[in-house]
Amino acid sequence: MTTTETVTRFKKLPKVTQYYKNEDQFTPGVAFCSGCTLEHNVRFVSRVLGKDAIFVGTPSCSAPVLNGANDGAWHRHAHYACTMTGVASSATGLRRAFLKAGKDATIVCFTGDGCAMDVGFQPLSGAAERNEKIIYICYDNEGYMNTGIQRSSGTPLGASTSTTQVGSTGQGKSTGSKNMPMVMAMHDIPFVATATLSHLDDYAKKLDKAREFCKEGFVYLHVFTPCNVGWKTPTDASIEVCRAAVKTNYFPLWEADHGRFRMTYKTKKPHPVEDLTSLLGKFKHLDGAQLAALQAQVDKRFHVLQSLCAGFTEGE
Amino acid sequence: MDALKQPRPETRVITGNAAAAYAVRLCRPDVVSLYPITPQSEVIETLERFHANGTLDAEMVQVEGENSAQNVVCGASMAGARVFTATSSYGLVFMYDAILQTAGYRAPVVMVNVNREPPGIHAVCSGQQDMIATRDSGWIQVIAESVQEILDLVIMAYRLAEDREVLLPIMVNYDGFYLSFLAESVEIPEQEAVDRFLAPLNDQPPRPVLEPGSSKGCGAHGLGAGYVELRRKHMAALDRARGKFDEVDALFGADFGRSYGGQIDCYRTDDAEIILVTSGSAVGTARTVIDAKRAAGVKVGLVKIRMFRPFPIEVLTKALQGRKAIGVLDRSIAFGWDCGPMYQEIRALTPEIGTVPLLSFIDGLANMDITKPHIERVVDDIQRAALGHDYQSVTWIASGE
Repeated sequence: MTTTETVTRFKKLPKVTQYYKNEDQFTPGVAFCSGCTLEHNVRFVSRVLGKDAIFVGTPSCSAPVLNGANDGAWHRHAHYACTMTGVASSATGLRRAFLKAGKDATIVCFTGDGCAMDVGFQPLSGAAERNEKIIYICYDNEGYMNTGIQRSSGTPLGASTSTTQVGSTGQGKSTGSKNMPMVMAMHDIPFVATATLSHLDDYAKKLDKAREFCKEGFVYLHVFTPCNVGWKTPTDASIEVCRAAVKTNYFPLWEADHGRFRMTYKTKKPHPVEDLTSLLGKFKHLDGAQLAALQAQVDKRFHVLQSLCAGFTEGE
Repeated sequence: MDALKQPRPETRVITGNAAAAYAVRLCRPDVVSLYPITPQSEVIETLERFHANGTLDAEMVQVEGENSAQNVVCGASMAGARVFTATSSYGLVFMYDAILQTAGYRAPVVMVNVNREPPGIHAVCSGQQDMIATRDSGWIQVIAESVQEILDLVIMAYRLAEDREVLLPIMVNYDGFYLSFLAESVEIPEQEAVDRFLAPLNDQPPRPVLEPGSSKGCGAHGLGAGYVELRRKHMAALDRARGKFDEVDALFGADFGRSYGGQIDCYRTDDAEIILVTSGSAVGTARTVIDAKRAAGVKVGLVKIRMFRPFPIEVLTKALQGRKAIGVLDRSIAFGWDCGPMYQEIRALTPEIGTVPLLSFIDGLANMDITKPHIERVVDDIQRAALGHDYQSVTWIASGE
């Protein structure tokens, strides 16, 4: 069914469908876990960016679908699979080759937080510094979920993972996560934004900008992508978790368009972080002090973000 | 037409690194990735100078590390570009995962590796250990002896790597310091001549490449039988690369008047009773010693290894059969075998060559000069073994044994 047919069939479609460039490029029954927001994420990116987008990915949760090994479940995008250290640099090679040949191409790196924030960070930072004309989307599920839920530098303070376990001496992860979208914003690239799957209009607008801005330089999107298995949540709770992350300011939605910071969704009365942590099994051991520490970190980061946004008035 | 007005090759005194850069420019790469490391940096600096002067029309990617340097050229190659990168030692091993990937993708990447001792014992010094550390990566590995050969070998490398029967990455090796910074008189071919030499590559059926909107993938999982099939195809391509290299070398000779013997070069071996095998910059010194020993009546010959991967099994067997003793001089070591790596591999040919005294000599590690007296001693040892005297199978020359 084409998008146009879908539009005529349903009288009132969600606003976000106006951003769709093509029908779903993925087969049904792909090899993601039930309730995984990664599937939602990648299908959405594909529909908004268009079917000519070339995906670059690595061994990860997305690999079985993006790179094959999942017979019968497939997609129609050109794609390039590489080592975890080689995503941003491989994408650079592809883009430069197409530039030299005079071909237009939208190159989309699509990796988890382990690749973006840990082992593939150096090439990512390098590609951003060189202002390569590519889009890098980090689907942040706060750990190495594909290999069995180990901690990454995206794992938040206190979270229980298979390498930050809770026991008589273990209290979950002892340090906070790397504030990755902010790190990327400090690379002074054309566009950096956060997004999540409870706010698809917001995400779609940012993908639209990404497609335009990647013609002039590097674009980084950091997408909060809950993992039911790793975070110990019911399979139908994922979108609720995304919404709670936004409402608690744990994952605020913002963008830096050529260095102009702006909140793209304003939470009038931020909820306490406990409204998020209480939904997640990985936080169920947190005591009052740990919760307070996590709340303090959320508040501090939000304050920094607000200060950055304060310098720019809306509609300017 | 007036013969004097015909375009002629230019002769210049340039370093080994500059020779590599001149050759790369002549091959018109589309994408070049660059990251500095001693003793290679001059290669990328020269290429950047060409680019700044407008004489090299390529996408230049100044990466933040060697791992990215290799991934950039692998990606660009899979999108159809002709590519180049250069590295050495620490850089080579830092890109190791990407090196394996490039080989597995059968991307015809051309890379210069200026041989230098790798990490472990810090030595900003020459040595072939870096090349040895990557010998099982699935790449083609070739070794140059002189500055002119560096230039010629880089041009030949493109013709070999991009051949549809081969499609493999190729590592052009030359000794750091001894060749990288040695200035020699070099004939730089005409652009038109190199264009003509590489033109047949464009007449081949196009290789599969990644294209926007094509639904094609690169790097899909290969499980079980699919994996085995791809590995066997890779091995078959490496096997074809041997003969193809001989062919390319001969074609190069026909076009430019210089050829080097293909996989190996045999010097005064026809009637030789004993043979010295070596590679790289030590070969020049070895030739001088061979000449002197010949003048003194010793029937010694020299075999220079130009292609290390794939190993020149057949031509080496032919060159080494029927001799009284063979010595192999390595500029690196084979850990766990207590000998040199080239010796180790030639030893594996014993059933074909026949059982004769086979001697390993390790010399030239970490910039220790392989001098004429060193090679004279090597030849004397091989000669004594040939005469039936007891001999030591492994000798570390540089440590004064």
